Amino acid sequence: MLTALLLFWPALAGLLVLLMKGEAAKKTAFGAAVIEFLIAVYAAVSFEPNAATQFEINQPWIQNAGISFHIGMDGISLLLVLLTAFLVPLIILSSFKHTYNNAGTFYALILFMQMGMIGSFVALDAFVFYFFWEVALIPIYFICGIWGGERRVPVTFKFFIYTIFGSLFMLVGFVYLYFQTPGTHTSDISAFYNLALSPENQSWVFWFIFLAFAIKMPVFPFHTWQPDTYTEAPTPGTMLLSGIMLKMGIYGVIRWLLPVVPAGVAQWADVVLVLAIIGIIYGAIIAIRQNDLKRLTAFSSISHVGLIAAGLFTLNMQGLQGAMIQMLSHGINVVGMFFLIDIIFRRTGTREIKALGGITQYAKFFTIAFMILLLGTVALPLTNGFVGEFLLLSGVFQYNYIMGAVAGLTIILGSVYLFRMFQRVMFGEANTTTAKFTDLTASELAVLIPLIILVFWIGLHPNTFLNISEPAVQNLLSIIKR
Amino acid sequence: MEQAIYTPYDYLPIIVQFLAAAGFVAFAMGVTHLIGPKRHSKVKDEAWECGIPTVGNARTPISYKYFMTAILFVIFDIEIIFMYPWAVNFKVLGTEGFLQMITFMGLLMAGFVYVIKKGILKWE
Amino acid sequence: MTSIILLSVFGIINLFLGFLKSNKILLPAVIIFLAIVFGVNFLDWNNPQSHFNNMLTIDNFAVAFSAVMVLSLALILPFSRSYINSGNPHLAEFYSILMFSLVGAIMMVSYENIIMLFLGIEILSIAMYVMAGSHKKELRSNEAALKYLLMGSFATGILLFGFALIYGASGSFNIAEIASFSSNTTATDLLPMMEIGVLLVLVGICFKIGAAPFHFWTPDVYEGTPTLFTTYMSTVVKTAGIAAFYKLVWAVFPGLNEFWYPTLVAITVLTLVIGNIGAAIQTSFKRMMAYSSIAHAGYLLIALTSFNDYSENAVLFYALSYTVATVAAFGVLKLVSDQREGETYEMFNGLGRTNPLLAFAMTVAMCSLASIPLTGGFFAKFFIFGSAIEAGAVWLVVVAILMSAVSIYYYFRVVMAMYMKEPVGEKVAVDGFAAFMLIFLSIFTFIMGIFPGWFNNWL
Repeated sequence: MLTALLLFWPALAGLLVLLMKGEAAKKTAFGAAVIEFLIAVYAAVSFEPNAATQFEINQPWIQNAGISFHIGMDGISLLLVLLTAFLVPLIILSSFKHTYNNAGTFYALILFMQMGMIGSFVALDAFVFYFFWEVALIPIYFICGIWGGERRVPVTFKFFIYTIFGSLFMLVGFVYLYFQTPGTHTSDISAFYNLALSPENQSWVFWFIFLAFAIKMPVFPFHTWQPDTYTEAPTPGTMLLSGIMLKMGIYGVIRWLLPVVPAGVAQWADVVLVLAIIGIIYGAIIAIRQNDLKRLTAFSSISHVGLIAAGLFTLNMQGLQGAMIQMLSHGINVVGMFFLIDIIFRRTGTREIKALGGITQYAKFFTIAFMILLLGTVALPLTNGFVGEFLLLSGVFQYNYIMGAVAGLTIILGSVYLFRMFQRVMFGEANTTTAKFTDLTASELAVLIPLIILVFWIGLHPNTFLNISEPAVQNLLSIIKR
Repeated sequence: MEQAIYTPYDYLPIIVQFLAAAGFVAFAMGVTHLIGPKRHSKVKDEAWECGIPTVGNARTPISYKYFMTAILFVIFDIEIIFMYPWAVNFKVLGTEGFLQMITFMGLLMAGFVYVIKKGILKWE
Repeated sequence: MTSIILLSVFGIINLFLGFLKSNKILLPAVIIFLAIVFGVNFLDWNNPQSHFNNMLTIDNFAVAFSAVMVLSLALILPFSRSYINSGNPHLAEFYSILMFSLVGAIMMVSYENIIMLFLGIEILSIAMYVMAGSHKKELRSNEAALKYLLMGSFATGILLFGFALIYGASGSFNIAEIASFSSNTTATDLLPMMEIGVLLVLVGICFKIGAAPFHFWTPDVYEGTPTLFTTYMSTVVKTAGIAAFYKLVWAVFPGLNEFWYPTLVAITVLTLVIGNIGAAIQTSFKRMMAYSSIAHAGYLLIALTSFNDYSENAVLFYALSYTVATVAAFGVLKLVSDQREGETYEMFNGLGRTNPLLAFAMTVAMCSLASIPLTGGFFAKFFIFGSAIEAGAVWLVVVAILMSAVSIYYYFRVVMAMYMKEPVGEKVAVDGFAAFMLIFLSIFTFIMGIFPGWFNNWL
């Protein structure tokens, strides 16, 4: 029941918010998201730390086709549900300073999207997963297309067609697998795990399914929609996309690719790892040359996600656990970064690095918050980024030394572009745009403090989270290696 | 199904039928030409007499009323054909056939009433 | 059977209702008539029977497709408000002709004898020629009617020639006898005649449903025809054509499928590609919908090529969801184009701000046509692809998928115009009945998308 509550509460609240206007919509949406978070925390507290799927619901949906509404959470799902439930209220809160036209629709779309994302994290039936996967896409399409920047229309279009294109291939892959299940066909996850396809078939099914996830993450060379979309989307939209939606792709690989077509994964893991590592280096190098803060963060996101993707395909404990913890860290850091960029943009009216400088002199708390999130992103020890990147890199090293070494460049290159950016924006002489840069307000602190707490929490005591996912990951590995 | 075998001889009745039809046309035209009375005048010798000048632009618009009347004539004329086989088999078809014919005529009458009410047959 | 008789009688009654002073009664009367027919139609459910010396068979297949088509007409008519308000003197005739044409459509899905199929097609087509030209003083409407008549008659000739050859080869018009002939082709030297006949019939039917490469009349005719009747053409006519086609290829020519299967697959691929690419390059929304109807004929043909347990239900579900979405899209188009000039995408600019309801209904319809989850169109494609993959035609599905991605481009152009551009005109006035229908259609689309199980196991 708890899973269903988590799933449908945002949708119900969204319907209510849809009818509201202005401030009321904002506040109701925030309240609903906080309640959702409390439910998620309750779920986490009552979660038994073992590999079993908990809070399971299995209702027949399209009975004569063997498709059932099967949802539930194991450790992996729970962590991502927690992340979603944690970030959405902060994202809503972060937008309080903005006034959007048709605020009711705007916040309702965010809540609908939350439903879609949570749905894809808890789905245990291939078609339920696909269903929510697409349901999450529609709201973000409208959020970007209606409230985005100047070039929003073509950019949103590209993003939408790109993603749907990938998803449709995933659908073909699922339908094919569905027809391989014995007896009266079923699309339940357990039936998919028990499939024994020939390696040749697994080989092409792998690409059909992986294409959707690769576009969503995005893995090089499927990333071309991402920097434009992140730049043009309104900041809450960017946060949703980078903080949570991208994790749907990673989660999809963990849940619906690795255990389903293990032989296909074995054949293609090298190729994907090489692509992922190219993405790491490529994203970082492009990021160095960026002048727009949002675009820089977008490319840095490509770089970081590349490392997570590489970790996934190493198929060892460190790689997968690292991916789990890094998903949380990346979500927290990137949302924080985009929020800080939004603050800069709101105060100065520009996101260009060249036009900024000397903010430190006017805003002490802002500098501290920026510094902490930045250190988290460059993976300094004691911060959250370190734990994830360390595990991931050690996973990649185990898989292949050379790849590990090249992937390790991410830390160096990351510190290059991030510190360079920090130096140009925060230090130096203040100019007319940055003069009188006011410090953080209470509501901005309310967003940043929880994020900073988590940066240190994960950095100092990652076991809180690792323990949740460990049995599930172990179980998953045993399925893959069977 | 057993296949019947046809020889060219079996097609003779068709030729006879064709000859009879062509012969009747030739016979009727020839006889009327020979025995009919003839009065010659400028109007009577025209190729076509119906009040419309025979020489002039061929694309002059013709009132749609002609078409309407012509179409209705064709429709009702053809409907009448259905009555022949019915009349021949009147006794065999019995009451059921009679009822079916009543239905048919009823529909035809409904169409007729519709046409009149729509004013298709009003000339002015 | 009863439904055919009732439709004819109601059509005649409706003609006479047209003589009343006010034309306000017509629309409610027709809706009630159609509701009665819809209900009566289901009396024959699970009660297969044949009529007129085996000319027609009313089985569940016929009942289900008849129901879809009667429903389509009932859904379309509420958007005819502008005809009522302008006091069009031929309104009763329009309604009656549509009801008569429905008789033809029902004959097309219940034939047991290919002569009845021919009669059905002609009853439907001739009615459509008239409706295409129903705006007598509009040049485009005249052009559409003439084009449709010429092309349609041509196709009819080809079709009839095909039937004649099939009759010549098999010695019967009855589909069971033709089927037994075609499944035992080694015993005859008349096979070439039969094959040419089958080929001509394929061509003729593809003409009628607008499948490529016999689609050239479709965009012009659909564009010129008044929107209300375009809706009818792209829903009822298409549904009837596909259902008849389905019955034809699998009930009549099963023994010859090695012969016609490659042809049909080639036609399917061509239809998908030409329909979708053609739609993507249009600037007129209505013309785009014409091409999109070609594209959807392609998706339906996929189900025809993959005959198995799933395909019958897949076709039915697809027809229903496609109908619902298309009626909503054309309904909004009609309401908007009645009050704003033109039929381009720009006409919809900013509709999301001036008329949220219209914009929402249009968005739902476009999502359904583009097969986005939560809408009926998603499961429609899903079932079609499922039946094709079950039949082993993965590559055909891949082609269809690529083309679906293209379709998102043109369907979402109108969504973007509605929500992301500045308004171009005043609020569009919408009458209550049409608004109710749009809400109903949207909800129906969602119901099909969330509970597809209710609709996919009828046959």
